[in-house]
Amino acid sequence: MDYPVYHIKNLHHDYGEETILSVDELTIHTNAITGLIGPNGSGKSTLLKLLSFVEKPKKGEIRFKGEPAVPFSAATRFKVSLLTQEPYLMKRSVYHNILYGLKIRNVAGDIDAKINEALNWVGLSGKDFFSRKWYELSGGETQRVALAARLVLKPEVLLMDEPTANVDTESSQLIRKAALKAREEWGTTLVIASHDREWLYDVSDHVLHLYQGKLIRSGLGNFFVGPFNSREDGLFEKKLPDGQHLILKKPIANLSSIAILPSELVKLDLMESALPGLASIKGIISKLLLEKPGRQILISVQIGDIQITSKLPLDTVKTNHLYPGRTVWVSFDPDKVIWG
Amino acid sequence: MNRNFFVRVLLICLLAAGFFSSAYSEPQTLMMATTTSTDNTGLLDYLAPLFTKDTGIDLKWTAVGTGKALELGKNCDVDVLLVHAPDAEKQYVAEGFGVNRREIMYNDFVIIGPSADPAAIKGKSVLETLKRVQKGAHPFVSRGDNSGTHKMEQSLWKLSGLNTPEKENFYIQTGQGMMATLTIAEEKKGYTLTDRGTYIKYEDKMGGNPQLKILVEGDDMLKNQYSVIEINPVNCPKTRSEQAKVFANWIAGEKAQKWIGDFKLLNKQLFIPNAK
Amino acid sequence: MEYIGNGFLKAILLLLHGDAETFSAIYATLKVSFYSMTASLVLGIPSGFLLGYVNFMGKHQVRLVVDTLLSLPTVFIGLMMYAFLSNRGPLGHMGLLFTLPGIAIGQTILALPIVIALSATAVEAMDYKLRTTLISLGANRMQILLSSLWEIRHGIFAAGLTAYGRVMTEVGISMMVGGNIKWHTRTITTAIALETGKGMFATGIALGLVLLLIAFSVNIMVSFFKKKLV
Repeated sequence: MDYPVYHIKNLHHDYGEETILSVDELTIHTNAITGLIGPNGSGKSTLLKLLSFVEKPKKGEIRFKGEPAVPFSAATRFKVSLLTQEPYLMKRSVYHNILYGLKIRNVAGDIDAKINEALNWVGLSGKDFFSRKWYELSGGETQRVALAARLVLKPEVLLMDEPTANVDTESSQLIRKAALKAREEWGTTLVIASHDREWLYDVSDHVLHLYQGKLIRSGLGNFFVGPFNSREDGLFEKKLPDGQHLILKKPIANLSSIAILPSELVKLDLMESALPGLASIKGIISKLLLEKPGRQILISVQIGDIQITSKLPLDTVKTNHLYPGRTVWVSFDPDKVIWG
Repeated sequence: MNRNFFVRVLLICLLAAGFFSSAYSEPQTLMMATTTSTDNTGLLDYLAPLFTKDTGIDLKWTAVGTGKALELGKNCDVDVLLVHAPDAEKQYVAEGFGVNRREIMYNDFVIIGPSADPAAIKGKSVLETLKRVQKGAHPFVSRGDNSGTHKMEQSLWKLSGLNTPEKENFYIQTGQGMMATLTIAEEKKGYTLTDRGTYIKYEDKMGGNPQLKILVEGDDMLKNQYSVIEINPVNCPKTRSEQAKVFANWIAGEKAQKWIGDFKLLNKQLFIPNAK
Repeated sequence: MEYIGNGFLKAILLLLHGDAETFSAIYATLKVSFYSMTASLVLGIPSGFLLGYVNFMGKHQVRLVVDTLLSLPTVFIGLMMYAFLSNRGPLGHMGLLFTLPGIAIGQTILALPIVIALSATAVEAMDYKLRTTLISLGANRMQILLSSLWEIRHGIFAAGLTAYGRVMTEVGISMMVGGNIKWHTRTITTAIALETGKGMFATGIALGLVLLLIAFSVNIMVSFFKKKLV
């Protein structure tokens, strides 16, 4: 039988008092790209550490290809690799940093060629970088070398924690390209946590949303993080940075919880909608993105410093002339907002 | 590659340690505790090779204060003593820690002071000297470190029927070695008691024209008697008593006695042999 | 103060003429510090690593004790060692009094807390991301241990050098345990103490310079190793 790469059940993890992560069920399929989205402290890094078997969950079970797995288990040790946020390079040369994993695996063959190839994937040349010391690299180069040290191992699963967060544009592009190449070449399963939503929406087969340690939703969504203010008419509002108000129904949990608005439910109009019962706010279209599988378009709308993503068919976009730079009215049914 | 290098270095170190430790064997030796004066003057450096040549025994010594030397003997850490504290030695033997105490030689102490000699002690007896120093409250510099010299000085005050002027302003306690004490005495223009050996070195250092001059010498009270004591094998069964006896006989013998008399520090005789 | 100039001159002469006494003291110093450093590194690095890496009951208290032992006065160690190694002492039968191995044991007691405390500090300063990185590259527990040690090699080197500095310069232990026996247990530092006591200040300074010269050579060797280790 063909098992998924990961199957998680009743996972719970904490560092002391506070629950960091609590996932009831999650399946990640072979060869898929899974995106992880969520604010800082939502548990993304913790989930990645658990998935890479660096840490053992306090409760619950992670099955790797159908078998329960824990840190150091033989089934996962050489198959899963994690690229941490702000990666760490050992105090050795670039060559020896990349060599490390190969040596542990007793890989035979032309090692130098393998290392050189891995460096080329991330846009670095062995000639220039083999003998570089760990302290002779820029932030972007460090990130790329760290990625090369994992790519050289041809991992079955590569987990990446904010791989493009602190690097220059060029490095960011090279890192994205290299990660996708790993999937194409060896069918590597990728799990990527990133703040870069558009990229994740673009490349991921599934996007998981994490908030306060809980898996809120898979798929595309927009988050409105509290605090909310209660109004006299019994509704709740969040003041947006540009002075507009986002009006919502009463939150279920509390005033500081989070409201999630699935992208499919976001309507865009060039004029303020007169439809009763719909909340609407004004914004500017910042980006269009063609979603891969379907013929859907992802439209990003900028409202002050927050972004709302909508998913519309290509035809709708065309007929309504929803192009970047245009002012649009974003409207949605407050009843359909999910509370996390 | 780097790690291998590291491991190799460690291995070499361990092998070398094994090599060093195995190269440690003991020929026939004799362990002696003695006072700093015999060592510092170079007397033992001069005598030891002669002793080894005559007897084939390797003489090792540790030069410490008299008190510690006696203590080392009590604890059976040495085989023989060469010390200069007659009263303590006699008691030591009486208590059964040592046997065959034999007087070997003596050197002497001298009282020195500024050539101006404000207390006018030149040529006087020790008794008279101390009285005059105290009466005139002339600066007197003391070792103050419980060394043999300090003990000698204290016994001189006692023998003169005076209390050691511990609290007086003119009485300066240095707590330092003899040479350092001489330097301080020179600066304070004070009187002090010193062994002749150190004075000879001081005189030489000053180019033969020292500011401090010998004012009192030759008094019997200033004699510093050295004796050899073998450690009592009853108290210390493992002591090398045979070798200790050989040494005691040798140093009290005619040949060694003559050599002691011939020993010169900066062309001056330092020890007067007096073995009976 | 003509001692200083004379001291320099004399240091050169002692070395150039191959003065037997000086070389005997140099040999004793090197030998005894070699023993004590080997022992304290072999015992101290793993202990320091454990102390810094592993969480166990009473860890804090152990650390407190080790840190306190950093202030052990050498004369006190010497005195305690004498009490133990004296023929009347509990370890007297081992015949270690007035021997170089005896001094080495005392110096090991001096150096061990330094090596332990400083390696533990180096381990504590280790980036927590190292462990994550090593695991995610496939390292097992043993490999994590070795690679972590390798990672903090510079800190360990510093610990070793600091301990070496104290071992080379101590007088109290060598004097009490070794007895400053000429040709046998006279080290450079006890020789300096002796010469100073004799008022031979120039010779004392010369020997001090010789000691510095040795330390300098050792440091040159160490920095050569260090370069290889980077």
